[in-house]
Amino acid sequence: MVQTPINPTAKLPPSTHQFADIIHRLEAGGSMLPDTPENLMQIIGIYKAYAIPMDFYWRDLLYIAERVFLEPLPFFKYFLPQEYLDLHNHYAGDDADLRIWRGEATAHPELLEFMEKGTTFKMPKLLHHLWHDRINMEFAEACMRSMLWHGRDMGWGKFDAYLDTEEYTANADRAIKAYFKYNPVMLALYKLFPDMFLEQVRQLSYYSNLGLFWEVMAPVFLEMSDIYDEGGFKGVPDAMNFLVNGIFAVSGRPIYHHVYIRGECYEIIPKSKGFMWLYEAALPYVEAIFYRTAPFRGTKSYNAQTKQVPDEQKDFHYGILYADVFPVGTAGIPPTLLMDDMSHFLPGYLQEYYQKHCRGEDDMLIQLGITFQRSMYNVTSAVIQALRQALLYPLDDPNPKHLLKNRQFFEAQMDRFLRPEARLRDIQSQSYR
Amino acid sequence: MLSFLLWLPVLGAIIIGFLPGKFEPARLRQITTIFAVIIFAWTIWLLTQFDLNNSGWQFSEYLSWVEPIGLSYSLAVDGLSLPLLALNGLLTIIAIYSIGENVDRPRFYYSLILLINAGITGALAAQNLLLFVIFYELELIPFYLMIAIWGGEKRGYASIKFLLYTAVSGLLVLAAFLGIAFLNGATSFDYDTITTQQLSLNTQLILLTVLLVGFGIKIPLVPLHTWLPDAYTEASPAVTILLGGILAKLGTYGLIRFGLQLFPETWSTVAPGLAFIGTVSVLYGALSAIAQKDIKRMVAYSSIGHMGYILVAAAAGTKLSILGAVAQMIAHGLILALLFHLVGIVERKVGTRDLDVLNGLMNPVRGLPLTSALLITAGMASAGIPGLVGFVAEFIVFQGSFATFPIETLLCIIASGLTAVYFVILLNRTCFGKLDSKRAYYPPVLRSETIPALVLTAIIFFLGIQPNWLLSLIEPTTDLLAINANQTEQIAMDN
Repeated sequence: MVQTPINPTAKLPPSTHQFADIIHRLEAGGSMLPDTPENLMQIIGIYKAYAIPMDFYWRDLLYIAERVFLEPLPFFKYFLPQEYLDLHNHYAGDDADLRIWRGEATAHPELLEFMEKGTTFKMPKLLHHLWHDRINMEFAEACMRSMLWHGRDMGWGKFDAYLDTEEYTANADRAIKAYFKYNPVMLALYKLFPDMFLEQVRQLSYYSNLGLFWEVMAPVFLEMSDIYDEGGFKGVPDAMNFLVNGIFAVSGRPIYHHVYIRGECYEIIPKSKGFMWLYEAALPYVEAIFYRTAPFRGTKSYNAQTKQVPDEQKDFHYGILYADVFPVGTAGIPPTLLMDDMSHFLPGYLQEYYQKHCRGEDDMLIQLGITFQRSMYNVTSAVIQALRQALLYPLDDPNPKHLLKNRQFFEAQMDRFLRPEARLRDIQSQSYR
Repeated sequence: MLSFLLWLPVLGAIIIGFLPGKFEPARLRQITTIFAVIIFAWTIWLLTQFDLNNSGWQFSEYLSWVEPIGLSYSLAVDGLSLPLLALNGLLTIIAIYSIGENVDRPRFYYSLILLINAGITGALAAQNLLLFVIFYELELIPFYLMIAIWGGEKRGYASIKFLLYTAVSGLLVLAAFLGIAFLNGATSFDYDTITTQQLSLNTQLILLTVLLVGFGIKIPLVPLHTWLPDAYTEASPAVTILLGGILAKLGTYGLIRFGLQLFPETWSTVAPGLAFIGTVSVLYGALSAIAQKDIKRMVAYSSIGHMGYILVAAAAGTKLSILGAVAQMIAHGLILALLFHLVGIVERKVGTRDLDVLNGLMNPVRGLPLTSALLITAGMASAGIPGLVGFVAEFIVFQGSFATFPIETLLCIIASGLTAVYFVILLNRTCFGKLDSKRAYYPPVLRSETIPALVLTAIIFFLGIQPNWLLSLIEPTTDLLAINANQTEQIAMDN
């Protein structure tokens, strides 16, 4: 349990870091996001708006990983079958392993309502899909690819390394051959280009990884929204602490990849491998999505030849913590797609809030994008606090040397936001919208 | 009928000026708009009544006024002045909506706008040289006041400079008119009684030169142009629209009406020099525009360049070139008004006109996408892209002038390419690129600001696709002007 120390940094001189104020706030058990009622209202509202499409994302990611698998023409991979809409979330409902959200374990009612009517009216799924009146799974897939792409380079955990083992290759081989048992053409292709198929399976393992990660986060966010509606959170640190505690509560959740082919389960990554949610999903996710991702096409023109794109993947800084959420041109940009998804599920108070600022309805997507950025700084704060708690010392540790270690850890984390693109400075001000 | 057009804005100015102070600026704007719309509707009605087969004066009105000095209240229009009257009516409405509702001293402001309309109407409809000069000079006062009161930071400097230059212009025009009348021994200044044929060529040349300098300041032509960038830049968008859209046209109107029409023989003598000055203006305007960092100043210099086309065409003196010159006056008036209106919107919303600061206004969410799209259209129209009225006018100018001044015309064609260069610079830096998220909290563009721009754009498109509606109105009069000029020239050559 994370608790705010009464007099946390009494034994240390003030930090001289550029973000000293924020470091002191972290040392006091706070968040990178300033503790204001407006910030709390914004982040909780957006968590709720994020959780509902996320409820679709995790179900569909698992559906693709487990059922669509290597379908050569996966036209209908976003057409979630009833089985996956009814799939019980392990952290919600009466039969939950650990009940985080007090709501139902099946798909969220607001999600089901949206899937039926969209922003238009009730019509066949295919028409909703073609009209793009649907949840934008492309965003989830962009996040998954980012995790896959950065996975090799991050050095977190053992999940990615396992994808290169002979054991994994043998498991994947069994599943591939079973899947294409009655398709000699694909089998022949597999014979000719085995690595291509194997790489596809690795990608599908990341589908599963991200699906399992978001299966936890959706009920966490929904529960936070409910607590807020009941008047439960008193400030931003409360919300952050709820996240930290949630992270620790489910940190041991297994990350696996199962495939169901003609009623039989193929364990490509068995649960018995012991890959843990915190180290193999949560931390790589934060690193790959919040910090790094990739220069999204259409947001800005990057010229790699003039070094506008860093040589090293570890230096990438295109995540939401650095993102300029202003869209340019069309809506084919992953962050824009998420903003669009979230806009369907905004709580009333947040819609009202956006109406009062900037251009109201007209630029609501931008405003909620910036709120999302604030909320993700809060989630990142929770991860930083969780890491500090897991690897270092309590905030109220009586030993000054331990506090200094904590300080150095926080300063090292803040160093990542020194680059001009980082929005840490911006979110300190309420007028950044 | 023309008196109604002349006196209604004066009446409107008086009524608005004496309205009680409790009237909100928005209400005053509505009242001004009602007057402006009636004036414009009346002009449109005149257009429908205008006999397209008659190249002479129509809707004539005459009242002997101060007979001893030859001043009469004599009004009429022809194919040269009526389109400009319509332009005046339209741009008055646009000008009213090119500034926010909450203008300071609104009663005075809107009264002056209507007085400008009246002054320009009087000058265009006048059939007496002295009456023309009276209106030509009178409309300087509201212009001066509008720059001096509602202008930018350097409004004092710009307004005084404008007043001095244009007052000198008026004095020179008056001197030329007095010279024409006195040397002819005329007892009236009515157009139909004035002729220069009895004057020697040298006398004509002197009088025409004085007239050309007078109107050259108003147009303005290089090197008499230095008042323009300051006045255009410092004036509010409404004043800039009226200055560039219609006041400058009084200069070219005077050039054709009094230079070409009264001095047909001498005109051919000075024509090569005029074509040269016109070409220099065109090139200077274009090259200066490229060098600007302020978008309003850039548009101001582009105006100098485009007015040069009119001079080259007028100098050529052929049927087609004069038709092109008048068409260019209308086209330039519409396009320039649109450009200045849009630049005004950009300045009001973004707070700067600096090309180094402006960026990404095409952004669909937080930028000014419709304004940017219209700015692109205006830039295209100014650069002479086919399908827009600018192309029609420039094409006729070039086609009509080429036979007489091939080198000058070719240089003008090259300069029209330069127009595309500076507009690409303007549009590329202003509309495209990434909107700076730290600055982009611009207020939305109001419908009342967008509608005038949409109306102008629609007219620019319409006349670009169906130019005959404009040309058939102008052609009989410009044909007559060209025939007179060519006949006189032929007689002179025969002698």
